[in-house]
Amino acid sequence: MTPVSIDSRADGVLAVILRGEIDYTNAAPVTQTVADAVEKARPTAVRVDLTEVTFLDSSGIGVLITGMKAARDIQADYRVIGASAKVLDQLRITGLAELFPVDQAGPPAAAG
Amino acid sequence: MAEPQQVYLSLIDEIRSAVEAEAGPRSLLDRAAGLLAGRIGCPVREAYAHLLRIAEEQGREPGTLAADVLGVLEPGARPGDERRVRSALDAALRSRPRPPDRVAEPSTGEVPVQVVQTVLDALPGGHSWVVPVRDAAGEVVDYLTEAASPEARDTADRRGVHLIGMRLADSYPSLVGGPLWQAYGQVLADGSPREVQPLTYERAREGIPAEAVYSVRVHRLGQGLLVSWTRHDPQARQAERIAQTERLGNLGWGEWDLVTGQTAWSEQLYRIYERDPAEGPLPGSESNAMILPEDEPLRLEAGERFANGETLDVTLRVRVGDRIKHLRTVADAVRDASGRTLKVYGIVQDVTARETARARLAEVERELREHRQSLAAEHRLAAQLQQIILPIPEHPIDLPGLRVAVRYLPAERASRVGGDWYHAASTADGQVLLAVGDVAGHGLQAATTMAQLRHALSALTVTTTTDPAALLAHLNRLLCASTAVASTGTAIVARFDPATRSLTWAQAGHPPPLRTRAGQTVQLPRPRGPLLGADPTAVYETADLTLELGDLILLYTDGLVEHRQRTLQEGLAPVIATLDEISLADTVQPLAALLPRLRRSNPDDDTCIVAARPLPDAEADPPGGPHVRR
Repeated sequence: MTPVSIDSRADGVLAVILRGEIDYTNAAPVTQTVADAVEKARPTAVRVDLTEVTFLDSSGIGVLITGMKAARDIQADYRVIGASAKVLDQLRITGLAELFPVDQAGPPAAAG
Repeated sequence: MAEPQQVYLSLIDEIRSAVEAEAGPRSLLDRAAGLLAGRIGCPVREAYAHLLRIAEEQGREPGTLAADVLGVLEPGARPGDERRVRSALDAALRSRPRPPDRVAEPSTGEVPVQVVQTVLDALPGGHSWVVPVRDAAGEVVDYLTEAASPEARDTADRRGVHLIGMRLADSYPSLVGGPLWQAYGQVLADGSPREVQPLTYERAREGIPAEAVYSVRVHRLGQGLLVSWTRHDPQARQAERIAQTERLGNLGWGEWDLVTGQTAWSEQLYRIYERDPAEGPLPGSESNAMILPEDEPLRLEAGERFANGETLDVTLRVRVGDRIKHLRTVADAVRDASGRTLKVYGIVQDVTARETARARLAEVERELREHRQSLAAEHRLAAQLQQIILPIPEHPIDLPGLRVAVRYLPAERASRVGGDWYHAASTADGQVLLAVGDVAGHGLQAATTMAQLRHALSALTVTTTTDPAALLAHLNRLLCASTAVASTGTAIVARFDPATRSLTWAQAGHPPPLRTRAGQTVQLPRPRGPLLGADPTAVYETADLTLELGDLILLYTDGLVEHRQRTLQEGLAPVIATLDEISLADTVQPLAALLPRLRRSNPDDDTCIVAARPLPDAEADPPGGPHVRR
């Protein structure tokens, strides 16, 4: 499972999908991937999907900040979606939830 | 109030004594690094980096390598060993992989230019390597630049490799025979390093005379000279590290009645001009004469606008005694119906501290950038830096009206040493400033950002403001303006007024403080403020509360509560339980009892905790009191 994949959609939206634990061990290449993708695709909007993220440390938070700055540089809309309750907590504490919209993940599907 | 330069110098002393205090096998490494630094003309910390990298590449213990280096570089080595010294040094410095045809042959006794260039490529700052050009009789007639560091730059803005092949006498004729030229000759002759400063270089560029001031260090290296240049130009000095440090104290006023010729100065204005009030105000012509000639056009222009009815607002450099002060003058006039000036009111602010604080911040940053070296050295340096920058008091300390205890729990692995920091000190006006912060990431990058923030905070509280929200706004701009890779961090800053026991605090994306009162611990509701370094326009707000005797306040970084498998509330629960228990136990030494019981929740992260409790007036021991209740 790669920690990041990028989907540049025809409607001008760049979808960034993060997975698993995003922390100091993998944040540097993930940050680079996101920044490069935004710069290259020059989308009108960036959506960062955290649905599959289980943990973010401060370096992982840095990925979201780099994404925000890259999107601001090209005046693209920036939004984080699928944040778990814990990640949402982190984004509130760090005040990032004031800087860009964050959508919470829906309730988990019925336990299997 | 300490001068910022003094603060900076004492920081350097701190670092030096911390390095000297190292005992055991480390001291070998210290001595080797010191000698290597002297030999190649680089800061000791870079020499460390070189040594550690070489040891790692050769798969040897740093101590063993250090012993070898000492064996050849120690001043006791016989003069006849010169060649051995050079070849060992070459071997030590020839550590980057290179194509075989460029491998140096050190037995000639000369340092191959490729080796020097390889070293210079790795050094921050401006360095060049020049070799003497001799005439038939063997006299030195010129110096040829054969290698240069990437950041080296001359007054004509030639940089790095473009400097190679230039001759001193051709390119900078005004230097021939001057102090630098003489220093070159002396260093060549006796091998002892020299420093030339200030070296003023004047050159007409497109008809406009340009002046640049340098300090230059000259070391002998092989058959040539390693020359390190530091430029002191106004742009660099005033580098905008803090976008705006407004609000300044130290201001005086004066009144000039042009009809009666009477002049009045406030006491502070005499102090700014260092003049005895008994002598009366300075006549205008004399105070104008103190202005630096370079600023005269500014003064004339401002004077002209003032004469035309505008308010005067100008900052000029003024020579007072043997110091240059930056004085901002704001003046307004009372005029008659015809526009004639009758009376002038003026305010003069001494803004020197702001100017020097800026320069100091830039200097600290430059120092810290030099730490960035190889990965092998990074972890070691990060740990060292943290110990040096962040000495943790062993026992609770007493500040005005407040007893404060600090605990730092480093991450379990040295490579995970991070950027947690704290600040606990009284301010000039008798209040107490507490702070904790956490820089994102780990290792040297985080540690340097941590040091930068901590020293910026100290400087700002002295020169600019003690308002917690304003301080965070400054730190935020500092991180946003940082040219280094995106650094972010979170922090809490709190100011305690011992007279009212009120605590004013602000936060930047940081977990809220805990307050314990009568066995009940609550998280304080947070005022607004996002983390530092994300948004240069971020707004920080303050919150206030009043502490009661018996209250405990806990500021902490998230290593205390953050855990991969738990929510933050779950992480907080054991901390709150401990605080409640300590508070109910009614111990006489609550802080001493508390700190050992707090364990970090995340072994991957370091944790910094600052705990404080207000003191009853009588309990505040005099500084250095022999018996202190903790």
